[in-house]
Amino acid sequence: MEATQATPIKYDMEVVRWFTIAAAIYAVVGTLIGVWIASELAWPFMNLDIPYLTFGRLRPLHTNAVIFAFGGCVLMATGFYMVQRTGATKLWSNGLAWFTFWGWNLIIVLAVITLPLGITQGKEYAELAWPIDIMIAVVWLSFGLNHIMTVAIRKTSHIYVSNWFTMGMIVMITYLHVVNSLAIPVSLTTSYSIYSGVQDAMIQWWWGHNAVGFFLTGGFLGIMYYFVPKQSGRPVFSYRLSVLHFWALTFGYVWLGAHHLQYTALPDWTGSLGAAVSLAMIIPSWGGAMNGMMTLSGAWDKLRTDYILRFLVVSLAFYAMSTFEGPVMSIKTVNALSHYTDWTIGHVHSGALGWVAMVSFGAIYHMVKKLWNTEMYSDNLVNVHFWLATIGTVVYIVAMWVSGIMQGLMWRDYDEYGTLTHTFVESVSEMHPYYVMRAIGGIIFNLGTWIALYNIVMTVRQASAVRGVNAVPAKA
Amino acid sequence: MTRLLGLLGMDVAAMSVNDWIGVFFSLIAFIGMVAVYVMVFRPANKETFESQRSMALDDEGHINVGEKR
Repeated sequence: MEATQATPIKYDMEVVRWFTIAAAIYAVVGTLIGVWIASELAWPFMNLDIPYLTFGRLRPLHTNAVIFAFGGCVLMATGFYMVQRTGATKLWSNGLAWFTFWGWNLIIVLAVITLPLGITQGKEYAELAWPIDIMIAVVWLSFGLNHIMTVAIRKTSHIYVSNWFTMGMIVMITYLHVVNSLAIPVSLTTSYSIYSGVQDAMIQWWWGHNAVGFFLTGGFLGIMYYFVPKQSGRPVFSYRLSVLHFWALTFGYVWLGAHHLQYTALPDWTGSLGAAVSLAMIIPSWGGAMNGMMTLSGAWDKLRTDYILRFLVVSLAFYAMSTFEGPVMSIKTVNALSHYTDWTIGHVHSGALGWVAMVSFGAIYHMVKKLWNTEMYSDNLVNVHFWLATIGTVVYIVAMWVSGIMQGLMWRDYDEYGTLTHTFVESVSEMHPYYVMRAIGGIIFNLGTWIALYNIVMTVRQASAVRGVNAVPAKA
Repeated sequence: MTRLLGLLGMDVAAMSVNDWIGVFFSLIAFIGMVAVYVMVFRPANKETFESQRSMALDDEGHINVGEKR
C-alpha cells in the first residue's frame, strides 16, 4: 500500500454508523417476522384470521427484510467503510451517501406497508410494486456511483479485492434488477411482466439465483476478504487465490439460475447446463473458503478469546457447506427428491443464517469498535450471541433437512399397483414436529439478534458517554 | 468448421441468432477464465499479486480522526 500519509485522513463515517445501526435493527425485525411465519406453519391459528398476517403476505416481507433491509444495510455500511479505508480517501460524495441511506430506508418502509396489504408482483425476491422497483434502481445506482467514483479517486495504486467484489455485485445487481423488473404498469400498484411462460420463469430464476450469487455471496465475500484479515491480524493467505475466486464467481454464477427449473417446461439442456456449472463452482467457492480459513494460519489460538473472529470463521464453514450442498441439489437425480421440499428451505437458511448473517455480525462488531473507537460493552454477550446464532442455525437446518427428505420420499412412494402411498395432507401432518423444531431454531437465532442489538446500543452509549467526558472525537 | 462443430453435437444449420449469441458469450466466458488462470498463476506475476496480501491491515497507518458530529 502506497498511501501512508503523515496527515490523518478524515473519512466520511457517520453514514456508515447509521447503516450499521440500521442493519442491527433490521436483523432483529427480519428474523422476528421469520419466527412468526415459521410459527404459523407449525400452528396455523397464529395468522389470527387477519389477512395482513397471513403467511403469503408476511413471507415476502420476511425475505425482503432479511435480504434487502438487513443484508443491504450491511453491504452499504461495509462497502462505504472498506472503500474509504483501502483507498485512503473520503467518499466521492458524502451527500449522495446520505441520499442512499434515506432512500434505501424509505424503500424498506414502503415494503413494510405494501407487502402486508398484498401489493406484490408475485416474483420471488422481487415482489415490490413497479414504482418501488424504480426507486430501488435509482437508490442502488446512487450507491454504485458513489462506490465506483470513490475507487476512482483513491490514493492507493491497487484496488483491494474486497472492492472488486463490491463493484462486481453493484454492476450485476443493477443489470439483474432492471431486466427482471421490466413490466407494463396498469395502475400505481399493478403491473404485468413483459415476459411470459417459461421465459418469465427463466428470467425470474436468472435473477433469483444471482441475487444469491452476487448480493448474498459476492458482496459478502468482499466483507470476508477485508474483515477476516483485519480481525485476525493476519494477511490474506493467498491474494492470487482471492483474485481467481472473484473472477470465477463473476464468470460462473450467471449460468446457474436454470438449475431451479429442472423437470419443468424449460428445455432439458438448460437445466443440465445450470447443474454442470453449479458443480464447477464448488472449486472456486471452496478455494475461497479455504483461503479465508487459512488466513488464520498462526492465529488459530485467537479463536479462544476473540468472539468476533468466531463469527467470521464459522461463517466460512457454513459458506463451504452450502456451496457444496447447492450444486449437489442441482443434480437432476437429487433435485427430483429435493425440489419443492423443505430441504431447499434448509439449504437457503444454512447460507442465509450460517454464512451471510454470521459474516455480517462479525463485520458489524468489528466496525462498531472502530467507528465509535471503543471496546464492546460486553464481550461475553458477543460470545452468547455467537452460540445462540450457531445453535439456532443448526437446529433450523437440521429440522428442514429431515423434513425435506421425508417430504420427498413420501411424495414419490407408491405401492405395487402404482398408486401413491401417501396423500399430500399426510405429508403435511408428518412435518409438524419439524416445523415446531424450525420455529424453535428461529427463536434461538432471533434471541441472539436482540442481544446483539442491546450490546451494540450499549456500546454506542458507553462510547458517547466517554467522549462527552473526554471530548475525544471518534476514530474510524 | 461445420464438420468440427458437428462433432461437438452442434446442429449448425438449425441454430438461431440467439443460439449464436449464446455461443459467443460462452466462448468469451471460457476465454476470459483461461486468461485469468494464466494471469494469476504465471510465476512472474506472483510477487505482484501477493504484495497486496496485507493491504487490509495497512490502512491503520492512516487512521482518521472521524467525521465532525
